[in-house]
Amino acid sequence: MSALLSSDLLRRLEQLQLLAARRAKSTVRGERQSRARGQSVEFADYRNYVAGDDFRYLDWNLFGRLDRLFLKLYEEERELPVRIFLDASESMTFGTPPKFDVARQLAAAVGYVALCGFDRVSMTAFPDVTARAAAAGTEASTRAALRQVRGRASSVRFLRDLEQLTAGGAADFNQTLRRSASEARHVGIAVVISDFLDPAGYDAGLKALVSRGFAVSVIQVLAPEEVDPSTFGDLRLIDSETGAEQEVTFGKFRLKAYRRTVQRFCDELRAFCRNRGISFSRIVSNTPVEQFLLKELRASRIWG
Amino acid sequence: MKFLAPYAFWFALALPIVISFYLLKRKRVVTLVSSTLLWEKFLAETQANAPFQKLRRNWLLFLQLLLLALVVLGLARPYFAGAHKPHWLQVVLLDGSASMQSTDESPSRFEKAQREALQLVDALRDEDEMLVVFTAAATEVKQSPTGNKALLRRAIQQCAATDTPGRLKDALKLAETITRDRSDSEIHLFSDGAFGDVQEFANKGLNLKFHRVGQRGNNVAIVGLDIRENPEQRQQRAIYASVANFSSNSVQAELQLRFDTSVVEARAVTLAPGQSVPQIFVASQTRDGVFTVSIAAKDDLAVDNEASVVSLLPEPVRVLLVTRNNRFLEKALRAIPNVVLSQAEEWRAGSAEFDVVVLDNVTPPAWPAASVLAFHVAATNLFASTSRLEFPAIVDWKNTHPLLRYVSFDNVQIAESLRVTTPPWAQPVVEAQQTALVLAGELARRKVVWVGFDVLQSTWPLRVSFPIFIANAIEWLNPSIERASALTIRGGEPFHLAVTEPVTRAKIVEPDGTRRSLNLEAGVRELVVGGTTRHGTYHLLAGTNDVTFCVNLLDALESNTRPVDEIVLGKYSRVKAAALRPASMEMWRWIVAIALAVLLFEWWFYHRRTA
Repeated sequence: MSALLSSDLLRRLEQLQLLAARRAKSTVRGERQSRARGQSVEFADYRNYVAGDDFRYLDWNLFGRLDRLFLKLYEEERELPVRIFLDASESMTFGTPPKFDVARQLAAAVGYVALCGFDRVSMTAFPDVTARAAAAGTEASTRAALRQVRGRASSVRFLRDLEQLTAGGAADFNQTLRRSASEARHVGIAVVISDFLDPAGYDAGLKALVSRGFAVSVIQVLAPEEVDPSTFGDLRLIDSETGAEQEVTFGKFRLKAYRRTVQRFCDELRAFCRNRGISFSRIVSNTPVEQFLLKELRASRIWG
Repeated sequence: MKFLAPYAFWFALALPIVISFYLLKRKRVVTLVSSTLLWEKFLAETQANAPFQKLRRNWLLFLQLLLLALVVLGLARPYFAGAHKPHWLQVVLLDGSASMQSTDESPSRFEKAQREALQLVDALRDEDEMLVVFTAAATEVKQSPTGNKALLRRAIQQCAATDTPGRLKDALKLAETITRDRSDSEIHLFSDGAFGDVQEFANKGLNLKFHRVGQRGNNVAIVGLDIRENPEQRQQRAIYASVANFSSNSVQAELQLRFDTSVVEARAVTLAPGQSVPQIFVASQTRDGVFTVSIAAKDDLAVDNEASVVSLLPEPVRVLLVTRNNRFLEKALRAIPNVVLSQAEEWRAGSAEFDVVVLDNVTPPAWPAASVLAFHVAATNLFASTSRLEFPAIVDWKNTHPLLRYVSFDNVQIAESLRVTTPPWAQPVVEAQQTALVLAGELARRKVVWVGFDVLQSTWPLRVSFPIFIANAIEWLNPSIERASALTIRGGEPFHLAVTEPVTRAKIVEPDGTRRSLNLEAGVRELVVGGTTRHGTYHLLAGTNDVTFCVNLLDALESNTRPVDEIVLGKYSRVKAAALRPASMEMWRWIVAIALAVLLFEWWFYHRRTA
């Protein structure tokens, strides 16, 4: 059905549902529990009748017993906005397979699960496409289409649009997340898929999402070369995004130390997330995505 | 610890260069990566924006500094000073005589001497100079004074011991001349002390250091060899050999006589320690050839275990007597065996077929080409001036001269004699107070015996000494005997051969079979063959001549291989052997070896770091 996810995997994903710790705050009706009172079959509370209330919701049995008018209140089921932040910067194009491929697959899976649950999916790929003049045309329209997707029927188009996304340019992780957090009218679930290798850090962006009230999930995608480098000798490393140079003399005997550094970096991110109630998962781009989706993300309570 | 080349420490200036390599940035392979964030975190320390970086504790740097320091130290050539005090000029006298071939040192005395001399070269400081002199039968300067150790080493290594007796005197004279005006000089003699008398250096103040080589004197040698007619049977030859034992043990050995290649006789001899035994062999001979006496003994020196002598078949002596009826002379000549006597009253030029011409009271118009025995002849080409002398009294005669063997002038009176001044070509054999009465010498390649009086004017013919003198004179004048004796020479001596026709090309076949050509000048009448440093039988091929001659050591002094402890230079001057004389021990080889090990370790370490 899609190049990103096999039909078999899609079928299995259909059975999953995004877990939301908080009640939905959207104004649009949906299938999620919310604090709002409205029309559903779930009884919520009583309240005194005031003039102008709909007689249909009066509890006549109670009126018979107590001779007072009470109005039955039902829970309103609202939709849950799911925001997916997809890192489409230059650094995501590295790795075998490229990190961006894995990231798109993850985004597709999350989006598909959300759409199947009748949630609104809003996908933000950063950096902004206007920064890249070359691919501005179709890319911009694709991204605009992904901005607001709703309903299961849209999933086909969602997946197709996602396939056409390309990565490039330098991203400003924190600014993107901060702006999205402030612009969001309804908070919901936020899934951030990135390598988190932004020189400016990730703290500010994630903090902004959390403080705005999003239930944030973080999925870190790393390339195998980043975890386990295979280039040795006297090197001048050039950052693909910033162009910054880094001179390194690297040999096999320092591999262990490098791995420790990577592990420490990931641990820091994990600790940061745990302290702020953010669920954290990490995937290296050469591991099978299916396994990761069905086991690890379920274990980290992104869905169930 | 001292340094032979302290200037090499200037190379230590290279140390900061190594450090600067570590301060400078390296050339690196440019690689594009997704993000340098992780690398920054990990390798912040390698980031360098300035051309120089902070010097860190880098093992490679330490290894390279250590390596360079070792190399500089090696170049400075440190050494532990031995007992030897360095001098500016050192003369190395390397004894290459036959006794130095003794194998009591391993592999031989000479090679040990070479090794010790090379150690001396190693210990030479840069500003010192050394001179290498090789001394055997001839003294040769192998290397003029220089500080170049490669040249000195090569000069020493190119020397090889010879089969010749040692002539240390010449070498010491040379060394004395070189070091005469230099107080900062030292003469190092590497020898076993088997050489002749050096008494004349008693008061020369030689700064001589004697490096003795050799441990013992285990040697049996043939120290003398001669061949004569057998006096008892004239057809046979008698070979007189003298065999000596110089070791401290009694030796039993087999003595063998060979004629050319066939064995004539073998006999066992027993030699007490220090004993010298004459051995006489008698052998018949049908052709010219070489008699070789060899002794099969296990000793340290092999050169003197064999000696050869060329033996030519005896030829009759052709004698022409030119006399006016001197019966005494004729009888005396006829009494000599193996003489073919012709007689004439006048000498006519052109008679070349005689070996000896006897001129009695006859002055020839031209001087004969053969050897001459002249009685009462006053030829102007013999003497500057002559006068007459009456009743000369015989005051002296040299009975050591071969002419006067068994001859006495005790009861001889002379009525009248010629009075001459002794010419430079002759030596007086019998002398009166005013003049020489008998002269013997060599003039224009011919031997001359001159008797200054008429024998008939004296009582000499009546004495028994007269026929003996005549017989001695004919033997002394016989050119074939002289030729035969000239065919056996001592090692190192030149071989002379007079040729009748000038030759343009000559070849020498040495005992080991190698051939070498002689450089001849045009019109040369006498060939001189040098380079006779190996004992054995040589062949000289020159024109139609094919001459065989033998080279022997036959030197008791050289065969006595017991090393001496001191050299006696006169009554009060002695040089003790410096038996154990530690030369300065250089250490640069060890340092360079350690440096090499450090280099290998550094290579391994670098690759472990970057691979």
